[in-house]
Amino acid sequence: MDIKGQKLKIGYGGHPVVENLSISVRPGVITSIIGPNGSGKSTVLKALTRLLAYQSGTICVNGKDLRKFAAKEFAKVVGVLPQMHSAPPDFMVKELVGYGRVPHQKWYAKNDNEDRRIIEWAMKATGVWELRDKCINECSGGECQRVWIATVLAQQPEVLFLDEPTTYLDISHQLEMMQLVKKLNKENGIGVVMVLHDLSQALEVSDWIVVIKDGEKYDEGAPEDVITSKMMKDVYDVDCDILHVPGRNKPLIAFRELA
Amino acid sequence: MNPKRETKVSALRVGTIWLILLAVLAVLAVLAINVGSAKYSVYQIITAVFSKEKSTVKIIVMNLRMPRLILACLIGASLSSSGAILQSVMRNPLADPGTIGVSAGAGTAATTILLLFPHLTGSVPLFAFGGAALACFLIYSMAWKGGVDPVRIILSGVAVNSVLGAYNALLQMMHTDSLEGVLAFMNGSLSGRNWTHVRVCAVYAGVGIFLSLLCIKGANILQLGDEMARSLGVNVNRTRVLLSAVSAFLAAATVSVAGMIGFVGLVVPHIARILVGSDYKHMLPTSMLLGADVLLLADTIGRTAVKGMEIPVGIVMSVVGGPFFLYMLRKKGKVSGY
Repeated sequence: MDIKGQKLKIGYGGHPVVENLSISVRPGVITSIIGPNGSGKSTVLKALTRLLAYQSGTICVNGKDLRKFAAKEFAKVVGVLPQMHSAPPDFMVKELVGYGRVPHQKWYAKNDNEDRRIIEWAMKATGVWELRDKCINECSGGECQRVWIATVLAQQPEVLFLDEPTTYLDISHQLEMMQLVKKLNKENGIGVVMVLHDLSQALEVSDWIVVIKDGEKYDEGAPEDVITSKMMKDVYDVDCDILHVPGRNKPLIAFRELA
Repeated sequence: MNPKRETKVSALRVGTIWLILLAVLAVLAVLAINVGSAKYSVYQIITAVFSKEKSTVKIIVMNLRMPRLILACLIGASLSSSGAILQSVMRNPLADPGTIGVSAGAGTAATTILLLFPHLTGSVPLFAFGGAALACFLIYSMAWKGGVDPVRIILSGVAVNSVLGAYNALLQMMHTDSLEGVLAFMNGSLSGRNWTHVRVCAVYAGVGIFLSLLCIKGANILQLGDEMARSLGVNVNRTRVLLSAVSAFLAAATVSVAGMIGFVGLVVPHIARILVGSDYKHMLPTSMLLGADVLLLADTIGRTAVKGMEIPVGIVMSVVGGPFFLYMLRKKGKVSGY
């Protein structure tokens, strides 16, 4: 699935957050969008996923104009986990994951065997199968996030959009989430586009990184090419060294401020 | 692997609760038929009702208490489902057609028709629906600021409620001569309602309750948050409008026969949620049954608490509901995860 946004102008009300930004998402790879707070990265993600209307420019999904997609048709190929979501605390895990089938169903339909099979698959793929009879409020933050990923996965999307999936999680759950993302990408060939704050994680898991600064694209490319001391200075105003360590595929970021 | 079992247990629990609520309704119904300014034994009532002659007992039971009983059930069920749906639309457990001005919208439209255009009295339910829908729209658009915040909804609802209340008061002051019917209307009363009212209410409430059952899936999905619902391919705005319309319709159906009765739509869904959880598939029918129970009980209390005088059911509900509302405000957050 290939998504191309061209000359996008996106904003809330009269204030464009993003102006004249072009972005393309290649199929089957992990793309991370990084940038400082307020740079417009979540805004871009929302526009690409129909959650926010863009004011001008074009977005094409597999060559078809995004605006020509029916809501359900789009939800069958693109899964989105927004930053803000909530579920009634007494919903059972398997019930919540079941809502991922909504785009494939008529408004009155119940889950059939096929739906149940896919719900089971989504729960197993995200490691929440054991939690299926628990209520949401009995799950930890990390478990909860995986349940939500399972919900989106039950949509059987070709590409998954995640808006800061690791925010609010502790480090072990952050790493678990990143491993899950990698696994879904490798084993199921699902493309992933995510907004990330943690640059080390972006460096580690992404195939492609897009850097956004003040609503404009600063740079994009393979992680090692994009994450440089110059970029860190220009975009984040942070001094750092990019260290290559023997035995690791990807370099490390060492901040001088903390040295 | 046995994922079925859990569902069965909870289905059993829900079924049991429904049966209990029905049993309570039956007991309350017998009570409501028996008690009142004139008390009769069950035996007296049964013989009178099934005899051919028109005794006083038969007239009181069949023409006064029976229609009132049925109305109380219909109105309780309607108001409760109206409140339950409104809570999902507004994403706020404090939403209730009475407290946030939806009923006041219906009431305003109805009073206006009754006082200024009496020749249109027959279409009061339709105008009431229009008023309720308009109030819903007003509340929603006032609270909209790039999204809806639960607190803003309640605040704008209170504002709408008070403006409409002022208009109603003004209208009444200018038409003191024809106030009788209108006054009962404002307090929410079932006093003196007859089979004609039952027929009107049964049609509107019946349609409304049927429509509300079609809202279950939509109401559930709205509980997941706007962005999540949208990314599941749901047209969130359209769902909101449809659900609000059903809720307003139900509120209007009750207002046009019994006036404004507050707090039912607040108290009942809350208790239903405690009993069966927040899945509307269980919660909505539970609310309907429980609503019928609560309103019938409140009306029977209002009818019999003070000798020689009737307290309108709306006042009974306010006395109980006001403190309950405060209790929920304090408890909010823990209540239902909105």
